[in-house]
Amino acid sequence: MAALPVPLPSAKMAAVDKRRPAVAPAASFPDSGRPAVSQAAATPESDEDFLRQVGVTEMLRAALLKVLEARPEEPIAFLAHYFENMGLRSPASGGAGEPPGQLLLQQQRLGRALWHLRLAHHSQRTAFNNNVGVAYECLSASGRKKKPGLDGRTYSELLKRVCRDGEAPEEVVAPLLRKIQCRDHEAVPLGVFRAGMLTCFVLLEFVARAGALFQLLEDPALAVADRRVGQAVLDTLEGALQAGDGPAAPARYLEAGSRLGPDSLALAMDRALGARRPGAPMTREEFLEKAAALFIAKVKPVG
Amino acid sequence: MATEGAGNLASGSWRVELGSCAGQRMLSSERLALPDYEYLAQRHVLTYMEDAVCQLLENKEDISQYGIARFFTEYFNSVCQGTHILFREFSFIQATPHNRASFLRAFWRCFRTVGKNGDLLTMKEYHCLLQLLCPDFPLELTQKAARIVLMDDAMDCLMSFSDFLLAFQIQFYYSEFLESVAAIYQDLLSGKNPNAVIVPTSSSGQHRQRPTLGEAGMLEGVEASLFSQCLENLCDRHKYSCPPLALVKEVLSNVQRLTFYGFLVALSKHHGINQALGALPDKGDLMHDPAMDEELERLLAQVPGLVNSVTAGSEASCLPSRTPPRVGSPWRPLHHIRKVDAESDGSTEETDESET
Repeated sequence: MAALPVPLPSAKMAAVDKRRPAVAPAASFPDSGRPAVSQAAATPESDEDFLRQVGVTEMLRAALLKVLEARPEEPIAFLAHYFENMGLRSPASGGAGEPPGQLLLQQQRLGRALWHLRLAHHSQRTAFNNNVGVAYECLSASGRKKKPGLDGRTYSELLKRVCRDGEAPEEVVAPLLRKIQCRDHEAVPLGVFRAGMLTCFVLLEFVARAGALFQLLEDPALAVADRRVGQAVLDTLEGALQAGDGPAAPARYLEAGSRLGPDSLALAMDRALGARRPGAPMTREEFLEKAAALFIAKVKPVG
Repeated sequence: MATEGAGNLASGSWRVELGSCAGQRMLSSERLALPDYEYLAQRHVLTYMEDAVCQLLENKEDISQYGIARFFTEYFNSVCQGTHILFREFSFIQATPHNRASFLRAFWRCFRTVGKNGDLLTMKEYHCLLQLLCPDFPLELTQKAARIVLMDDAMDCLMSFSDFLLAFQIQFYYSEFLESVAAIYQDLLSGKNPNAVIVPTSSSGQHRQRPTLGEAGMLEGVEASLFSQCLENLCDRHKYSCPPLALVKEVLSNVQRLTFYGFLVALSKHHGINQALGALPDKGDLMHDPAMDEELERLLAQVPGLVNSVTAGSEASCLPSRTPPRVGSPWRPLHHIRKVDAESDGSTEETDESET
């Protein structure tokens, strides 16, 4: 049932009176098991006290802080997810008394860490860093016997999950994973963990944007783009990325931006169309892979 | 019964995009730069949180059974899906643009069959339908919407579902904006300085006065370009939602002069404005929703006694039909008469068996 049975506060409406007995017949019978609703409402204990006692106040406060930290585009959907996750985490919903297996525990920890990582977009650096910290703690607090800490295996697993959920083709992100993964039994310090996560999220966004770019270039009927145009765009991108390197960063960023501006990009595409002959068309996968390779070339390998 | 049915149908899986209304989307950098309070107010976060707590207090038994987190999850999910407005009080339904859009969509989803059957209803009948979803829905709003369809006269005329729905959408969603527009229109009619500061009047019906045959002579309405300027001013400083200014201007650029109702009709028929509002599909698709039809048939198939007459029964189950005995009447009396005949014959069993 998607909609909650919501009795209206202004009970004067006839329609409501008709609905109510149908919705909650139990409440109208004298039930020794639990106090009747009307009685609870009549007690002097204020709503405020009630909310504080059952923990609603604290829960909403935490939720509101998370909303403000993450500033999501759709805060209501964000809240729905937030509470859903909270419900899953609470032991009450776990059901059976049997302790979950080690594998399941690991999966739960990964899920929780992922959830924290996604709460804020990576461009909100403070919020993102906080969440990375929390995710790191989630994962490190694993085995009781072993020393706390994050091992390379869990870290790699998390990277894979992030990439898989990011809907980027596997062959596109695989080179990145090879670069930033740690060995299975290596301990992963927080710094490496944070850098790895950040790189991963940035790459995913980069790939998504490259995908959007390709969509503009492609012929909708054939789902491929002209190789000359595609290559020209990639070359321009490469040039801009190289310009972005070096010591005088701000000036370089401006230069990179101007190289990628619509006019110079159009010029490059036009030149490419004139200069070369049409070759084999370029597919989406190829374009994404090449674009991602430009990015990944800039990533420093771990260790 | 009708109310329950509407609830079931409307709680199907559909989504009204939160924040899809014009002007709410913004770059993430802008969003992040907003002060906390403005961000929360703009997205009505506190409105929903407060309402969630009120709902929780009214359903204390639920939380002892399901837990608080589950309760909030369902609440916020239903807000996302737009089902949270069903059977709620009017003050809540009009509280946010998202609630308004959700209500419009719920109304359309629940009573689409009216339009499909080609039934024409009066203003009062549409009002009853609205009240099935929102018991204290004010008559005044329905009347105003009907005035847009009927061009301010003959209020007891019949209207088609889509005409009413599109007019109602403009009136309901842009209610405050239209109040201000009415005041501006009135000022222009009476020849006041258009660019003076305009205080929106809350008295309704004022705009209904016909222009007196004064300085305007035989011409009716106001000059479109002047009106357009005033509305541009209005949109700039209006704190409630306005239709996209570019589209308003487009509407006004097509004519020399126009009346208030002429303007409203043009707004309600403008498919760009309908799209910007985002609650309803294009006018042509208002009656077209195969997934919904399928669900409807599935639900109806579960109702005993309706199995044989699914199509005819769809309207009967959803709303008080104009001619209730439409389905049963042609054959039942016949059957009855024959039976009487047969009984007089004395050979009851044979005829009964052959008939059924």
